[in-house]
Amino acid sequence: MSKIALSVSRLGKWYAVNDLRYRKSLSELVIQMFTAPFRGKEGGRAISQAPNSIWALRDITFEVEAGKVLGVIGRNGSGKSTLLRILARITAPTEGVAELHGRVGALLEVGTGFHPDLSGRENILMNGTMIGMTPKEVRRREDEIIEFSECGDFIDTPVRHYSSGMFMRLAFAVAAHLEAEIMLVDEVLAVGDEAFQQKCKAKIRETALNGRTVLFTSHDMESIKNICQSCMVLDHGKAAHVGDVDEGIRVYRRICGNPQ
Amino acid sequence: MSQTFIIRAIGEEPLLNFRELWAFRHLFYILVWRSLRVRYQQTVIGVAWALLQAILYTFVFTVIFGLIVAIPTNGQPYPIFVMSGLAVWLFVAQAFNQASASMFNNAHLIGRIYFPRMILIFAVIAVALVDFLLIFSVLVALMIWYGVAPTIGALFFLPMMLLAVMTILGLSLWLSALYVPYRDVGHLLPFMTTIWMFLSPVIYPSTLLPPKYQFLYALNPIVVVIDTSRWAFASGPPPQGWMVAVSCGVAVFFCVTGYWFFRRQEATFADVV
Repeated sequence: MSKIALSVSRLGKWYAVNDLRYRKSLSELVIQMFTAPFRGKEGGRAISQAPNSIWALRDITFEVEAGKVLGVIGRNGSGKSTLLRILARITAPTEGVAELHGRVGALLEVGTGFHPDLSGRENILMNGTMIGMTPKEVRRREDEIIEFSECGDFIDTPVRHYSSGMFMRLAFAVAAHLEAEIMLVDEVLAVGDEAFQQKCKAKIRETALNGRTVLFTSHDMESIKNICQSCMVLDHGKAAHVGDVDEGIRVYRRICGNPQ
Repeated sequence: MSQTFIIRAIGEEPLLNFRELWAFRHLFYILVWRSLRVRYQQTVIGVAWALLQAILYTFVFTVIFGLIVAIPTNGQPYPIFVMSGLAVWLFVAQAFNQASASMFNNAHLIGRIYFPRMILIFAVIAVALVDFLLIFSVLVALMIWYGVAPTIGALFFLPMMLLAVMTILGLSLWLSALYVPYRDVGHLLPFMTTIWMFLSPVIYPSTLLPPKYQFLYALNPIVVVIDTSRWAFASGPPPQGWMVAVSCGVAVFFCVTGYWFFRRQEATFADVV
């Protein structure tokens, strides 16, 4: 049972901030990290290894057993997205190794590759394939996806005629039906009006509780408490806590400056 | 467990990833399908656009270089002569430009999902090959109209198109990776394409060139590709064997070095693009 599905060892990601070639890499995350005052004696020294550069993530080590859910929490710019992007293989780490045993599905952004001139149905096929399903799998789950999206009446209409709500619902629906052994999930994905957001969150929880290995990030501590067996707190790119969920939430609240 | 992925630090991932490229073949099909679908769905005359371009070029070149300048054509009607070169060239120009800009043009995909980035290059070259088939049909129509039969050279045409594909692949592996940090490549591309066209025997026969420059000429693999096309479909002289060999060497050189360079760069495309 206690098979390791995901193991990460000394992972680090370094960005050269002022280098012109990396101008575009200045995501909100890095800017926030750079302008935020570096607190703590150790953090400041490790990060300012070179001028105008930054460790968005440093020395991250953890393991997740198969079927378990690890919550990743931290303030904006603490390195959560960088960690998920590395594990989703969108970008490569500067140092360290990660081993993933099983197919990886990333639920980090929705609507990748959606084309306004293609119909809803065509976009399901395209987007589904892009996020890692085979065309056969997409077709098998197509009806489910359409039903979840509540766009059934317009599914053969080009999506440029969709309302933004319909567009987001369809985009989320495809992503939510990705099946993989290891899921990387960002709960900010829950989209649409309140009712649909609840539906999204329920779907995400269903994914998490379905015996899959999940890396789950959220700003909603209730969600973290409900579905995670363990938790990691990131602060300025470093792991401030790995292990118990309740303790992790306390650490997170202390970092945020409101201990309750 | 079905698969194990190991994520390694920049510069430590293995250089060869052919198995992974194969694993992502569905994405390749989808990208090709999307391009064709989008392009031919919204345009009023659809498929005809690709044809119209070829026909207009043929007409203009025939008037200017066939009638006014009167370039020698090995005794063939100028439309057949120019079209047998132009069909190849339009493919090269389209595939080269699109493939070299493919990382930049698909930044939104690169920043959001993982796939071997090279697939974008393969996809745009495949789309250009589909357009080539359309343009090639214009050449066939012209041959029927003028009563020109293909020669034995037609047997060599497919391998030569492979040489053209390899040349484009090698160059665009370099340029597309350079395009990500250096946007100047975008300004250079149209300019390079135009110069490359004049260095290829598109509007003139390669026999016009003095023999002492032939070695330099062979460094451009598109020369022997177009010469083979002329040999096959416009009764031109066959290309020289040693020139073909030099061209193959050039194409392989760019493919191998381009592959290496691309693999070393692609890990951080998402951070820069």
